[in-house]
Amino acid sequence: MIRSLDQMVEKVHSLNRKQRIAVSWAQDANTISAIHKAVSYGFAEGILIGNVSEIRNICKKTGIDPDLFSLFHADNDVAASEEAVRLTVNGFADIVMKGLVGTDKFLRAVMDKKKGLMLPNAVLSYVCALEVPSYHKLLFITDPAVIPVPTLEQKVIMAEYAIEMAGRFGIKKPKIALISASEKPGKHFQSSADYEVMCRKAKNGEISECIMDGPLDIFLACDKKSVEIKGFDTPVNGDADILLFPTLESSNPFYKGLMLFAHGELAGLIRGTIKPVIVMSRSESEKSKFYCIALACLMA
Amino acid sequence: MVLKSLSDLKGIVTGKLPRKLVLAAAQDQHSLGAVIRAWEDRIVEPILVGDKEVIQNICYENGYNFTGLRIIHEPDTEMAVEMSVKMLSSKQADILMKGKVGTSVLLKCALNKDWGLRTGNLLSHIALFEVDTYHKLIAVTDVAMNIAPNLKDKIAIVNNSVSFLNRLGYVMPKVAVLGAVEMVNENMEATLDAALLSKMNQRDQIKNCIIDGPLAFDNAVSLESAQHKGIKSEVAGDTDLLLMPDIEVGNVLYKSLVFFAKAKVASIILGAQVPIVLTSRSDSEQAKYDSILLSAAASK
Repeated sequence: MIRSLDQMVEKVHSLNRKQRIAVSWAQDANTISAIHKAVSYGFAEGILIGNVSEIRNICKKTGIDPDLFSLFHADNDVAASEEAVRLTVNGFADIVMKGLVGTDKFLRAVMDKKKGLMLPNAVLSYVCALEVPSYHKLLFITDPAVIPVPTLEQKVIMAEYAIEMAGRFGIKKPKIALISASEKPGKHFQSSADYEVMCRKAKNGEISECIMDGPLDIFLACDKKSVEIKGFDTPVNGDADILLFPTLESSNPFYKGLMLFAHGELAGLIRGTIKPVIVMSRSESEKSKFYCIALACLMA
Repeated sequence: MVLKSLSDLKGIVTGKLPRKLVLAAAQDQHSLGAVIRAWEDRIVEPILVGDKEVIQNICYENGYNFTGLRIIHEPDTEMAVEMSVKMLSSKQADILMKGKVGTSVLLKCALNKDWGLRTGNLLSHIALFEVDTYHKLIAVTDVAMNIAPNLKDKIAIVNNSVSFLNRLGYVMPKVAVLGAVEMVNENMEATLDAALLSKMNQRDQIKNCIIDGPLAFDNAVSLESAQHKGIKSEVAGDTDLLLMPDIEVGNVLYKSLVFFAKAKVASIILGAQVPIVLTSRSDSEQAKYDSILLSAAASK
């Protein structure tokens, strides 16, 4: 079982595979240096699409050899995104990654019905593995980036994506906590009713193998001591592998709080596509950017 | 003035007469422990209302010295709470604290139309966090009381919180209205409310503070993150008060700061005639003590 993001990198390394990563509108120093690190570790090849002379300039400034990458020219960010997606759809690349282009423009190319990377009828969602020193293992969370207020159906799919990702980390029967403000189901919370249905589905085997319980608050999900103090009976028992959040509004400050206040690092990935799609926030740390690439290589 | 740690609150209460604190249904070990410590430190002068025999037994068992402590014997919990509230509404004391009684019972009494502690304002909860990864205390509201505040409620919550921070010595506290994103998004109501609150602040409809929002969590607390995204804001990276869109968001954030970021926390209820200390079973004795300290600092 992989218990840290560095162990994840080792695992990717040990697979002895090289994933080809097509980067859309790649003339960005942060992005290039993260890709360069993955190339140096030996598990990635970079296909950089964008303004080639600018890419070369950035490489020169940062002391990176531009000939380590394949460089393709594109006139603008939209064309670069379309080209990156096209290369991936046609099998010339295994992973597509957002560079300097805005997320909405980039995702438009990814989600294009004819030329894009979407699985038919798939739900696009984001799963992220968090490493925090105050937790005894990795914590997968969903969805801190894409679906604002997931429906019941979307929540089930979010759970499936997270279970699948946890599986790649060697977690066989992950414990999923369905998060709310309180462990008491209440009519104030839309999520309560959905959670009840989900737990039933999990019990009936309609969701991939997992141990699911909710609503639970963060304490009951992640802190054994709180479970004892409250004398609360839950199979998750303060040992959650996966936290599923009711809204983007609650998950987003959660992960950012952990990054900024609890010394966290993350690796995150979009799910619901034919091939892995990497979208990182500009404010992500250098380390987290590298972890995102490694995660994509693990899932590819 | 800006507070850097919860112990800075001591500077505010030093030199003042100890505030009279009524502990309603006082037969509760954790609350008693914290109250007696605050009494020994001359922060409060406690009046314990509850079952005298049980209170004394708890004191014996835990080695609390209660010589000179005022105890009013009332074994019936609801009667004890009613008596406590009446002592406050008749101005015989300054602070109300919850002992061994359910939150709903205490609040029902506190909100009694004839002899309660209503002011016409909405009641709201405020929590002050001390995290070693942030350069000062950060106040968060509302993580415990208002479930899904509308714009009108949010204005009341901000006003409660700002006048409280003003009393603590913050002349113009910086208020960040939290969203999952920093752009106004017509599909996310919290971002619309945030924009309106900011504008109302500019027009002096909400005074004595600087409001900006929507801000995502990282922009609110990290100048670096805000600069990455090109956000120009007086509040970004230097937030004193974070306004939560709803209780699900607030509760998750509160618990993750305590559990993952090892934050210290003090909290009280605002909007009544007097500060109300309303901590939960799972709060540590230190958190209860700090909350008493906070109520004394806030008491007029």
